[in-house]
Amino acid sequence: MPDKLRFLTIAALALSVAPDAVFALAGPGPRVAQSGSTAPEAPPPDKGPASTNEPPKTVLEKEESQGILGKTVRDSAGKEMGRIVNVIVDRASQPRAVVIDFGGFLGVGSRKIAVDWAALRIGADKPDQITLDLSRDQVRAAPEYKDGAPVVVLGAAGATRPLPGNGSEKAEP
Amino acid sequence: MPQTPAVPETEVASASRRSLRGLDWFNFFIADVQTGFGPFIAVYLTTHAWTQVEIGLVLTVGGIIGLAGQVPGGAIIDAMRGKRRVAAYAVGGIGLSALAIAAWPIFPIVLFAKVLHSAASCLVSPAIAAISLGLVGRRKLGERLGRNARFASVGAGFAAALMGAIGYELSNRAVFLVTAAFAIPTLIALAQIRAEEIDPARASGVSRIRPPPEPQRRLRVLLENRPLVIFAGCLLLFYLANAAMLPLVAGLVTMRASDSASLMIAACMVVPQIVVAIISPWVGRQADLWGRKPLLLLAFAALIARGVAFAMASHPYALIAIQILDGLSAAVFAVMLPLVAADVTRGTGHFNLTQGALGTAMGVGASLSTTLAGYLADTFGGAVAFLGLAGIALMGLLLLWTSLPETKTDLPLDHR
Repeated sequence: MPDKLRFLTIAALALSVAPDAVFALAGPGPRVAQSGSTAPEAPPPDKGPASTNEPPKTVLEKEESQGILGKTVRDSAGKEMGRIVNVIVDRASQPRAVVIDFGGFLGVGSRKIAVDWAALRIGADKPDQITLDLSRDQVRAAPEYKDGAPVVVLGAAGATRPLPGNGSEKAEP
Repeated sequence: MPQTPAVPETEVASASRRSLRGLDWFNFFIADVQTGFGPFIAVYLTTHAWTQVEIGLVLTVGGIIGLAGQVPGGAIIDAMRGKRRVAAYAVGGIGLSALAIAAWPIFPIVLFAKVLHSAASCLVSPAIAAISLGLVGRRKLGERLGRNARFASVGAGFAAALMGAIGYELSNRAVFLVTAAFAIPTLIALAQIRAEEIDPARASGVSRIRPPPEPQRRLRVLLENRPLVIFAGCLLLFYLANAAMLPLVAGLVTMRASDSASLMIAACMVVPQIVVAIISPWVGRQADLWGRKPLLLLAFAALIARGVAFAMASHPYALIAIQILDGLSAAVFAVMLPLVAADVTRGTGHFNLTQGALGTAMGVGASLSTTLAGYLADTFGGAVAFLGLAGIALMGLLLLWTSLPETKTDLPLDHR
């Protein structure tokens, strides 16, 4: 494939903007391969000019991309921390944080904590290996993520900062 | 037992050892089956990329069915002569539900499976109590219920340990496969109970000597039953104060303990089960010696002490030790809910309907508990939340103390 761009598709982003949530749920795990596999069949039917109203298609290799909702997150030592349950985007549709369901036993006592998108590391050879630049001790006492409340994002350096008002972009013109 | 000569022993001796053993293990294995359906289901669905909204929807629907189904479930158990068969269908339904959730974690299937599980669960607890009463009769019911609680809590503790290990070592899907597989020994244990030894009239609280009221008046008889209404109020307050304590404590452990947090939460869950397993037969016997009220007061006192202790303690090991009190009150209520239901419905034929009504009160209290405690913890902090729950428990204790008469009566001729 000529495509040199490395993309990381975020299934959660698609879920939050597109109504095809059922599609993402239909498989045992969110795989970009679903959309990727349809793309190669697309080019043969159209002949040149017919593609004016066809949106362009990009193929993301299986090894290059993945959905991350529900995936396990590990700390830098490789110990399991929890699972990604949500992705927070800002008004410029940029991913800002992942919400991790952290700790607990059989679902009791887990805490949802928002962690800076920049703290997320995808394994270079194993994309399935998602790690955080944070230790369990840094994450466990962070304020809990609450739907509808201002999101407190745990940064990679361990400093917490509120999401609104931070960063260069102001979404309102 | 001063009244022993008044009651023919033949009724009590009718249950065979095989049936009683079967009931023991039925209690053990059904607790295993139900453990997988706890909060763990949310974790499992998360791994299949379910969103929080969808998980919440499925759990809410299941919760509503579980509440609304209690009274009809009890009524079905009252009406059916074959209590054992109804229990078998319910266990089969729960097993299929676990299998469906393991095999197809997609929204329509899981929603249907959760509805099936919730509805079937409404039949299971009254069925266990009905089979117990039908097998051993009222005179030995307290002791029997204590034994039921012992086997159920050993089962639940065993299942929590096993499923924690399976989820960690294998996969979350394997947990639901094991849950489904546990339905098989549950049914085998149930089959050991000889159906002909379960007296269907006795199992519904029908008296041979005193005729039951006409069908139209039966429900009114229950609603005008003052001890029953007050006991339902006490149950609601108890679970309103009790249900949120473990999740709240577990959240604190996650915050405070670093590496061994999961293990400590497991300990917080298993310690009460061990206590229940040890003391519940004693609770069942004392209920017949002391009466019900002193034990119920003890359970409320333990709950108040627990709330206050959680508000003050901070070390994770202290939190685990305080959970011993949870075992004490859990043992009392596991025995008392069916026992008081049997006390107040003598001769009405509505033993199981009443259990359903009490189960509804319990479920309403429990489901409001997490919301209330979550609000208190978010607004005022964990300590205030625990003290608030302890305050609710104190209200329950006062209601019980001032208003609930002792429901244990000396047994005249018609209590077999």
